[in-house]
Amino acid sequence: MTPSDVLSRGIARDNPTAVLLVGLCPAAAVSVRVIDSLWMSAGIFAVMLLSSFCMTLLARGRTNGGEMTPRAAAGGWLAALVISSFLTASFELVLLRAAPEASAALGIYAPLIAVNCLVLTVIDETSRAPSPGRALLDAAGKGAVFAACLLLIGVLRETLGAGTMTLFPLPGFSGTIEIGSLSQDPARAISFAGGGLLCLGYLAALARMVKERRP
Amino acid sequence: MAETSVSPAPGGLTLSPAPHLGAPMSTARMTWLVSLSLVPAAVWGGVLFGLPAVRVIVTSICVAVAAELASSALFRRFTLADGSAFLTGLLVGLLMPAGVPLYVPAAAAAFGILVVKQSFGGLGRNWMNPALGGVVFALLSWSSAMTRWAAVGDASVSTAVVPPLEALRPALSAPGAVGRPLEILSTHGYFFSTMDGRIVSWLNSHILSLFHASLPGGSYDILVGYVPGRIGEVSAPLLLLGAAFLLSRRIVRWQVPVSYVATFALLAWVFGGFAGGQGWFSGGPLFHVLSGSLILGAFFMAGDPVTSPLASTGKWIYGIGLGLLTFLLRFYGSLGDGVAVSIVLGNCAVPLIDKLVQQHAPARAREGIG
Amino acid sequence: MTHSNSLPRGGVIPPDSSLISREAPIANAAVPSVAVIPMLQHAGRAAVCVVKPGDLVREGMLIGRADGAHSANVHSSIPGRVVEVRRLALQEGISSDAVVIELGGEFDRSGRPRTLKGWEKLSRIDLLGKIQSAGVVGLGGELVPTHLKLAVMPGKSASLLVANGIDCEPSLSADYALMREKPGEIVEALRICQVLVGAARVVLALGEDAEGLVPEFERALARTGLQCEIALMPSRYPQGNEQLVVSSLDGTRLSGPHAGSVVLNVATLFAVYEAVVMDAPLIERVLTVTGAPVAAPRNLKVRLGTPVRDLFDDCGGLSARPGKIVVGGPMRGVAIASLDIPVTKGTAGVTAFAGAEARTPKEWPCIHCGVCVEVCPWDLVPTRLHKLIQQGEIEQAMGEGLGRCTECGCCAFACPSHIPLVDILRTGKRSRGRTVDG
Repeated sequence: MTPSDVLSRGIARDNPTAVLLVGLCPAAAVSVRVIDSLWMSAGIFAVMLLSSFCMTLLARGRTNGGEMTPRAAAGGWLAALVISSFLTASFELVLLRAAPEASAALGIYAPLIAVNCLVLTVIDETSRAPSPGRALLDAAGKGAVFAACLLLIGVLRETLGAGTMTLFPLPGFSGTIEIGSLSQDPARAISFAGGGLLCLGYLAALARMVKERRP
Repeated sequence: MAETSVSPAPGGLTLSPAPHLGAPMSTARMTWLVSLSLVPAAVWGGVLFGLPAVRVIVTSICVAVAAELASSALFRRFTLADGSAFLTGLLVGLLMPAGVPLYVPAAAAAFGILVVKQSFGGLGRNWMNPALGGVVFALLSWSSAMTRWAAVGDASVSTAVVPPLEALRPALSAPGAVGRPLEILSTHGYFFSTMDGRIVSWLNSHILSLFHASLPGGSYDILVGYVPGRIGEVSAPLLLLGAAFLLSRRIVRWQVPVSYVATFALLAWVFGGFAGGQGWFSGGPLFHVLSGSLILGAFFMAGDPVTSPLASTGKWIYGIGLGLLTFLLRFYGSLGDGVAVSIVLGNCAVPLIDKLVQQHAPARAREGIG
Repeated sequence: MTHSNSLPRGGVIPPDSSLISREAPIANAAVPSVAVIPMLQHAGRAAVCVVKPGDLVREGMLIGRADGAHSANVHSSIPGRVVEVRRLALQEGISSDAVVIELGGEFDRSGRPRTLKGWEKLSRIDLLGKIQSAGVVGLGGELVPTHLKLAVMPGKSASLLVANGIDCEPSLSADYALMREKPGEIVEALRICQVLVGAARVVLALGEDAEGLVPEFERALARTGLQCEIALMPSRYPQGNEQLVVSSLDGTRLSGPHAGSVVLNVATLFAVYEAVVMDAPLIERVLTVTGAPVAAPRNLKVRLGTPVRDLFDDCGGLSARPGKIVVGGPMRGVAIASLDIPVTKGTAGVTAFAGAEARTPKEWPCIHCGVCVEVCPWDLVPTRLHKLIQQGEIEQAMGEGLGRCTECGCCAFACPSHIPLVDILRTGKRSRGRTVDG
């Protein structure tokens, strides 16, 4: 498989959010604002990529797809969780410093990145990948797709559900764009959890349509 | 043999499968008749609440029809003839308070058609009532806008703008709130029309005094529908007239509405009295059946064939479940009259009910050549 | 006389469009100038043609010999000359050879006095032989060769013998008219069958609207001394269905083989009478011609092989050009593509439709209304079955009872969305290699 194949698979066939449907809890919970989606994606991307990298270092010397003894598998998972927790804690500290408001908004979902289904799925696949480069590419691809999906949902939910768009604050710009009359009386149901699941559902339907068009 | 003159019609002989007779009632006709049977209640709402009500109904119908036209065109189909988009728009309009800003019914109608109906495959494939899906969406999104009631009668009197059910809640928590719901409301200063006062006092003095019973003030108003509320829900007699027409033509089956209303009324009567300090078996079932959108919901939406169970047993289970849910939501919940939400929840349970009923079908149905 | 309910659940009452006075006498249809007689007019193997073009045939002569036991003889219904033997497309994709005979010469049977033959002294083998050689098959639609139905194992006897006088379809009244005109013959045939099967119980099943015929039948039964009950059944389609009739009479399971019960249609019984007592082969039958455009709808006695076109002439012609012609009744009949299709042993009626009636109504999506469930006499859920079949889940559908479907048409008749349920269910059953007359 060429690198572009891996990437395109990540978008259509193995799309984590829309097809594989992993890591939906944080996806639905934090995508209420665009800024939160961006920070969440950044966190997952970073933790996933770096964990994957560390795991490839550990897994060196083992043949591709070879059978592991249960002990070795347990040891491998222990290592993975320790690495991922360490990386998550680091990300949390960074977030607290850089964007305390976003840190509060992400709440419990920031520390939960350590055991996020998507992160664990990617780590699992890393141990089976044919080469470190391939594993990293897969992790990067999935992370990027996750970010894109989350961003899409975040834009939709914040625009319709709150009538605003919250981005990074810059000098002279508070970070929040208000969208005219929509911000006065938005459709709040979309910023509820149910609305989030609805958006995820449509995304999944869209992904399926794309998947079925390409044989 | 003489030359015969029999020859087929132009176009040849049609080859179609048996049976060659069909029921005269068609699906499209049924849906349009449901819309027709809602017209009396809609007219009452329009007259009572004035031009704003008419605007709300017109808006929601137009948006529903436009949404269906646009989404069906994507699949190169034209489905307006089946009348269901018009009906959805009409129902959404009737479930709105008259003073609501127009973007609310518009959004509710669009949501109902596009998300609840068309996304799942159009008519017959939706598993939730589209009008109710839209209304619940509006209730959650614009909860304050959904309480912009229009005044009835004397607008200067403040309580003439709040429906009886919504006024009951604060009235119950006031000190000295004892008695039947309507009595509690009068003590609280709820406004009833002079016509009501005259009729009720006449009935009480001439007829009911013989039975040592009395009607509380406001009974006439609430029975006839001269109270604030959602546009289509207030007039019970006109709604029941339309419902009777539909039942007589077997367009709506009686099992669901009757079991729904009966279960709810029974529960309201048995348990509803506690709130009014009356104890067991003294809730105000008539008040609770007539207030809120119970009659509208039970006959026109719970009875909708697409989202109710197939078999008769299933319909009973569904109706009883809905009655229970509405009772719980209205008396112990904070969601107003609880009808829309309970029907939506019931819709979700319908496939399960169907499956359970089919699995436990009578033995006769399961034996055979198979 | 007892009242039984053969249809406790379901069923429909379609509008009776027969427009006929059932009390009117059966008219004789004109003899066709050309008769087209197929070799396959029954359930089983087609008969083997024993004539060739140019042969002269007489009225009632054997032109097709039964091919084995599961087959039936075919006779010529008119005297004349064989013009050709051609392939004829019958209904539902089946085709068979058909002998085309041009009318000519003398009639051996028609218009001549007939002698009654005694049959009491004949053995069972002889009786069955007469029935078989006359080519008698079940005329109520099953078309099973009658000698097979009446052949009971030696030493065994049937538990129930039923004469089914309930017209199988609304607006067809051929059986009623036959019972009105020939009660004695039918009772005699019933006696013959009773000798053959030795049933413990004999029943004549009539529809409630045929109650006026009961006195005549009681007299005929009294004359012959046959112990026979008369059971009246409600007039709701499809109460004439064989399984429903038997299960309401003997209280057994609704579906599945009814071992030990023999059900014969009254038209079949009349053919048995003709075969045994008159030595006459099966060359004609009574059928109903009806439909809005028919000028004078009536019951006709028609010779097999008559093209459908000729029947309308016997009924005063058609007032409008027909858009659809159905062989059979409105609920189960088959639409035909040409007016030259001949009348065969299984033709119980011909219905003409014109104008709006002939058009297929517009189909809407299923709205889950449950009417099809209410009317199905077999407790099936037609809408669920049709959805399963459309998704290709035939096995699942069979598990939910698809095999019990008798294609009665009640579900499709009642459906407000005009979904062709019978067609879909039949396609589902066929795709599993099963046939209709299971």
